[in-house]
Amino acid sequence: MKTTVPVLVAFLSGLILVVSFFFDDKNWLGLLGQELKIWLTIVAGFTLLLGVVSITRVNWSAVQRKKEGWKFKILTLIAIFAMAIPSVLSPDWSIRFGRNEGSIYDWLFQYLMSPMMATMFATLAFYIASAAYRAFRARSAEATLLLVTATLIMLWRVPMGEWFLNLFPWIDIPYLLNTYIMGGINMAVQRGIIIGAALGAASMSLRIILGIERTYMGKG
Amino acid sequence: MSIWNKLEKMDRRWVYLMVAISVVIPFLFPMTLPISITPEAQAVYDTIDALPDSSTVMLVFDYYPSTIAECEPMAIAALHQFFSKNIKVITLSNIPLGGPSMAETITRMMAKKYNKKYGVDFVNLGYKANYVAVMSGMGQSIEDIFPTDNSGTPLSELPLMKQTKNYDDISFLFEVADNATADYWVSIVNAQFGVPMVCGTTAVSAPKYYAFIASGQFKGLLGGMKGAAEYEILVGKKADAVTGMSAQSLVHLLIIFLVLLGNISFFIGRRKSQGTA
Repeated sequence: MKTTVPVLVAFLSGLILVVSFFFDDKNWLGLLGQELKIWLTIVAGFTLLLGVVSITRVNWSAVQRKKEGWKFKILTLIAIFAMAIPSVLSPDWSIRFGRNEGSIYDWLFQYLMSPMMATMFATLAFYIASAAYRAFRARSAEATLLLVTATLIMLWRVPMGEWFLNLFPWIDIPYLLNTYIMGGINMAVQRGIIIGAALGAASMSLRIILGIERTYMGKG
Repeated sequence: MSIWNKLEKMDRRWVYLMVAISVVIPFLFPMTLPISITPEAQAVYDTIDALPDSSTVMLVFDYYPSTIAECEPMAIAALHQFFSKNIKVITLSNIPLGGPSMAETITRMMAKKYNKKYGVDFVNLGYKANYVAVMSGMGQSIEDIFPTDNSGTPLSELPLMKQTKNYDDISFLFEVADNATADYWVSIVNAQFGVPMVCGTTAVSAPKYYAFIASGQFKGLLGGMKGAAEYEILVGKKADAVTGMSAQSLVHLLIIFLVLLGNISFFIGRRKSQGTA
């Protein structure tokens, strides 16, 4: 029973959505498909709530047991609820509630979260520079090819580099890079990856719909 | 230990210092650099320019705050072009982490400059979980998926949404993304519903989307801060992306220099150690 019901739900949901694709909203199958899509957004909303419950349980348990770094976990919990609670309260009660301009949520997002996330991402530049210096070596023919291509593309993508590439007037290097590297070799490889991933996703979906793939239920 | 061995084992903090200096210098001493326009960026501008005035478009804020430096200038420049043509804009986001807030803040800021009215000239639908269902469901009815806008106002009370029922009423889609949601916009909204679209994305993601340029599914593409700078120039509003190109130029050149230096020191150091052995 524990396995049969989820497999049946997955089969019916998948089948309805696949079949309804071929019908418009004037047909009952099309309307049923649309209804399922609305359900999907609601179910996905609950998964977000599940995430909040899970992170609260894990962190609260660590705080109670005073595990290593428990003080940071308190900060995590405060951050979650300081942003979440005012954002879900009605702005009719106070202009500080809700998610509009001037709300607590908006203030925390604009002046804390956004700059912190941008800073974290920006520090990557330092690590990339250091890693490139230490690890990017022309040890083999393939590595040399990658190194030369990456160098040329990096030059092309910035004005100073492009100026340098344009010092050779008898050959239009930026055009060649855009046309043959990015729009040629790169595009062909990316297309292969995209098609491969799409075929993989389609076969995996089919396995789930037919009940062959059951790992989503915690079974092998 | 030879100079080459010393260089190879250089403390990483020197590298960090060089990067910091390369980023800071252009902001202290601004440089004016010529920025060429790629055909992909030109195509973005031309496609929007060819849209009829007063048509309705979707501008999607599918990026996290971490990539604001690359993505936000694209969204701002797009709003300049849309509002200057009196195009009506519907914004939304598939990113729960701040997407709707960024859409709200940026669109309202730009709307003030062009005297645009909320509900009439632009609407922010906000965020709804499960982007595949959202994109697919809006094909039949936007109101089914988003019964209210980002502030909780029912769509039936917004004049712009009264005349915009589904993708049949959307002339164009501009996706600004730093993740794989662009793949779904192209495979669901463009391929299944035929909405023409362009994409602005981070420099890391841009190579992937050349495949959609070649297939004609993307009318144009903006790649990274360079793409944003090109688009700012095309719309005639030079801003953060153009300013940032100087810093990015220096850091790119520094990384190339470091890679060359690292390789030279590696090979000379290896040859010397083989000679002594």
